[in-house]
Amino acid sequence: MTSKFGKSAIAYSVLIDALKAKFGDDIVRLEVHERKAGAANEIQGHDLWVEVARTAFRPFLEELFTYDFVNFHVISGDDMGSGAKDNVALNYHFSLFQRTKKGRIGVSITVQVPKSDLSMPSMHDLLPGSEYSEREIREMFGVDFVGLPNKALVFLPEDWNEEIKPWRRDATGPAPEIVRELS
Amino acid sequence: MSTTYTIPVGPVHVGLKEPVTAWLELDGERIMGAKVRPGAIHRGIEFMARERSPIQVIYLSERICGICSFSHALCFIRAVEDLANLSVPARGQYIRTLVLELERLHSHLLWSGVACYTIGFDSAFHLGMQLRERVMDILELLTGNRVNYGVATFGGVRWDVTPELAKATREMIRYYRREFTPFREIVMEDPVAHARMRNVGVLSRDDAVRYSATGPTARASGLRVDLRKNSPYEAYADIPVEPVVPQDYFGKTHGDVLDRFAVRVLEVYQSLDIMEKVLDGLPEGSFVAEPNLNKVLASLKKAEGTGWGIIEAPRGDNTHIVRLKGGDDNVFWWKVRAPTYANAVSWPLMFCGNELADAPLIINSIDPCISCMERMLVTNGNGDSGIVTSGIITKEELVGRCRQKTFDIQARGLGGTER
Repeated sequence: MTSKFGKSAIAYSVLIDALKAKFGDDIVRLEVHERKAGAANEIQGHDLWVEVARTAFRPFLEELFTYDFVNFHVISGDDMGSGAKDNVALNYHFSLFQRTKKGRIGVSITVQVPKSDLSMPSMHDLLPGSEYSEREIREMFGVDFVGLPNKALVFLPEDWNEEIKPWRRDATGPAPEIVRELS
Repeated sequence: MSTTYTIPVGPVHVGLKEPVTAWLELDGERIMGAKVRPGAIHRGIEFMARERSPIQVIYLSERICGICSFSHALCFIRAVEDLANLSVPARGQYIRTLVLELERLHSHLLWSGVACYTIGFDSAFHLGMQLRERVMDILELLTGNRVNYGVATFGGVRWDVTPELAKATREMIRYYRREFTPFREIVMEDPVAHARMRNVGVLSRDDAVRYSATGPTARASGLRVDLRKNSPYEAYADIPVEPVVPQDYFGKTHGDVLDRFAVRVLEVYQSLDIMEKVLDGLPEGSFVAEPNLNKVLASLKKAEGTGWGIIEAPRGDNTHIVRLKGGDDNVFWWKVRAPTYANAVSWPLMFCGNELADAPLIINSIDPCISCMERMLVTNGNGDSGIVTSGIITKEELVGRCRQKTFDIQARGLGGTER
């Protein structure tokens, strides 16, 4: 695998068809967002929002690498709350085809991580630039990244009580009495 | 027998403008390894957004960073526009582009001045700070503020570009074309500046790709990557932008601090060209889709979904992801990834093999914005603001003095006419 951005791009529809053919039912949901701009308000690009089964995340990411070196942006996440969906949802945000004019495709991969087993395979070996984001998700949501070499806190202070996960909306989240209202 | 020592640079250090700690492993003066520990100014701004409406979060997002405040506000707004399918009138898009480029100009001028200060070239630093004032005056003329402009809103902008402002901006463009070149030449042709910056803090092209480096840091390593080209937004759809890379100017890429300096300096000229094209092509019509904020808020209350805003901020790509939940007044969740967040991961690579004395320069070479990365900085405002020299100034007095200064600039910039 060479660490290089390719000089050519493929259309988003071709990419979608290829991914659907390869992953079938492992793709739980797929949405396309158009990006329009300019005086004529024409389409300038597309973002794919794909939800995949947790087991398919790593093969899906590796498949993206066969098209172009994947540029990683960030992982966002949300606690889906208790009930039927007792999950932490993680959204991985990537770009493909950055070298090309108007060719960039944004790919956001959503994975539901059940709270009974909060772990994901780390992508640190493929994308070392994801280190801070994986560490941040770990300290904020309590998701363990298997294979991440450095699991130290990144933004929270050294004396932080690691039982408290700041972005969770359940009992492990910050209790109202430890939140200081500024105004 | 060699012994290694571990020393911290930061969180408080004369060479750094904001707190971050780099634990450097040293063999003599040579840096053998580095571990970076951010976190000194994390204020939980994303958490605060959960108790605020989308319109309140625009102003919260501006407080992420003083230099690229418009980039953050616009990125948040674009994420909401993405999920709620809002469109922006052409004039609004062009004005947004103008402010983005003014902000880039401001940021690059500030950085190139501070870079000179970091290598002890104080006369060039003062020249850089002097040059920066003009663009800040234009921003103040447009928005009333030097930072935190409050100019962006959903579906457009809040202030129009008047003929007087367009004229003042064109004068500013001429001023920089005339006055910036001597600054560039003083620094880039100075043998001492070369000696301090060439082959220092090298990030190879391969590592820049693998470590997801972004913006001028990535371009200085030779990557032709710019969101204004590969994913045009706002008026960049009509105004072509080519990434500035050092190999086009030097014939070769070093990926060092001097290349990062050169990319930013050359992007100043690019910004001036873009601003001129924006002013030439400024479409007529309204600059905001819906001026009534109550209507906007009511429609956003019904919106449900996740949106992604991504723009080329001065330091690299800025990514915001926003979730709105139908029926909820407030932002459900919000994730900010400022460019420094991505570029800081490459610091340990840049440190290795360099001298201890170069550490602050290497840290500054990515133009770090630690409060961006960690989202927000709060100070008490006493002492270092430059306004309070002695005694106590009340909030009312401070607001009064700030307003007076804006009025003075408006009177001076527009020849005394009312806006």
